[in-house]
Amino acid sequence: MSEPAKANPAEEQQTTDRRTFLSRLSSLAMALGLTAGYGMFAALIGRFLFPAGSTAKSWQFLTDLDSIEPGQSLLYQAPAGQRIAVTRLQAAGTADDFIALSSVCPHLGCQVHWESQNNRFFCPCHNGAFDESGNPIAGPPKDAGQSLSRYPLKVENGLLFIEIPTESFT
Amino acid sequence: MQTIAGWFRERLPISTAQLAELTNEPVPNHLRRWWFCLGGTPAYLFVVQIVTGIMLAFYYQPAPSTAYESVRHITEEVSYGWYFRSVHKWAATLMIAAVILHQMRVYFTGAYRKPREINWMIGMCLLLCTLLVGFTGYSLVFEQLSYWGATVAANICDTVPLVGGFLKRMLLAGDAYNEQTLPRFFILHAAVLPVTMIVLLAIHIGILRLQGVTEFQFEDEPPDEPRTFNFFPDHFYTELIIGLVLMILLSVLATVLPATLGPRADPLTTPEVIKPEWFFYVSFRWLKLFSGTFAVLSSGFIVFIMFVWPFIDAWIRKRTKYDEASVWIGIVGVLLIIGLTVWEAVVEH
Repeated sequence: MSEPAKANPAEEQQTTDRRTFLSRLSSLAMALGLTAGYGMFAALIGRFLFPAGSTAKSWQFLTDLDSIEPGQSLLYQAPAGQRIAVTRLQAAGTADDFIALSSVCPHLGCQVHWESQNNRFFCPCHNGAFDESGNPIAGPPKDAGQSLSRYPLKVENGLLFIEIPTESFT
Repeated sequence: MQTIAGWFRERLPISTAQLAELTNEPVPNHLRRWWFCLGGTPAYLFVVQIVTGIMLAFYYQPAPSTAYESVRHITEEVSYGWYFRSVHKWAATLMIAAVILHQMRVYFTGAYRKPREINWMIGMCLLLCTLLVGFTGYSLVFEQLSYWGATVAANICDTVPLVGGFLKRMLLAGDAYNEQTLPRFFILHAAVLPVTMIVLLAIHIGILRLQGVTEFQFEDEPPDEPRTFNFFPDHFYTELIIGLVLMILLSVLATVLPATLGPRADPLTTPEVIKPEWFFYVSFRWLKLFSGTFAVLSSGFIVFIMFVWPFIDAWIRKRTKYDEASVWIGIVGVLLIIGLTVWEAVVEH
């Protein structure tokens, strides 16, 4: 390729500048393209590794309202194995009559158990304790004001339902 | 920026000038031609396999009772699981194809001749590892093909004289496919073979750098052109382009022809039509043409010939003074391989 005739130094300067500019522009475009391409791939990797959806839950039948009186409890064994005590406190005929306490300690997730001799739920991990309504009475849950959570309940056509996780990994 | 560089320089005795010289190796001119980029291609695909393989391993479960379900979960439920599984599967096919094409290129350009015999043999080891990693890979899905492929392969090993029984028991972790077989294939596929390949690759590239790439002169090149060009930025850009082309190709293939899931492995039923993956069609057809022991031994013998080919070629050239014998032998070999592969591909049995 022969060199183009240079008219004057000013024009030559401009040609060099244009060439450098275009070269830098194409390098930038290439770098952006690469970042976009491989960046997209990395984003997909991130999405892939991020755990999908929440655990499957479903509404399960417990009992009809007439079979349980205020003050009575019913012990329910969920399909995934959890044991849940459902207690009726009132006779208004709505889901608010009942509490179904979760046995997962709100502090760090250990299983609590009922101590009938102390009339409380006790967590062996850090000595947390809860009363029969799930309110914290000792240990870290009391310091943080964390109660035992309740399973959602609903009443339809005089029947009581509970919403519980149905998946078990064992 | 200068102070950061200065901070490192005070602690690590590396001279950037030396580093630039080491890496900016002059690349022989013929590497401007795309045929000669067939070595970098499988290397790049190997990296893709490691990345996608590690990702799949986050969800894959290597036990016969849960393997198939975990692959189904990846394919149907995990975000972009279908995409990464398909990329992994297609990159495997492309990598094996690229390795074979690379070997053919090296063979037909005689680049295995003295002093490069060792590198040829290292390359043969890499070829065998690549085929094995492909085989163990599709054994992990626990489809019908996975189970029966593994059973047949183990029984083929069994026919090898002396060590056959030992090989079979080592491969299957027992006398027949059992609970321990799949975990064994998984460790071979995900740990043992990749690490071996990384070590062999390092040696392969190391020897290549030590000896320098074989220089070629083509007829259409003017004799006074500079014989080499710079690694940075010229050859680096070539490699980058290849990487991008491969990524696009893989993405298109993964999207248009995604990996599917066949029926789950059933130890009591062998499917009517059962074949290994395409890269074993040639041996599958060879085994069907000849009886058990002869077929296995002859296959082993052919692989051995391929291994020591540089020395056979040197002997032929010394005895017959016919330099191009290897080219004709190679052409016959390639036609045979293609013929047997296509034959197996088009028939049911």
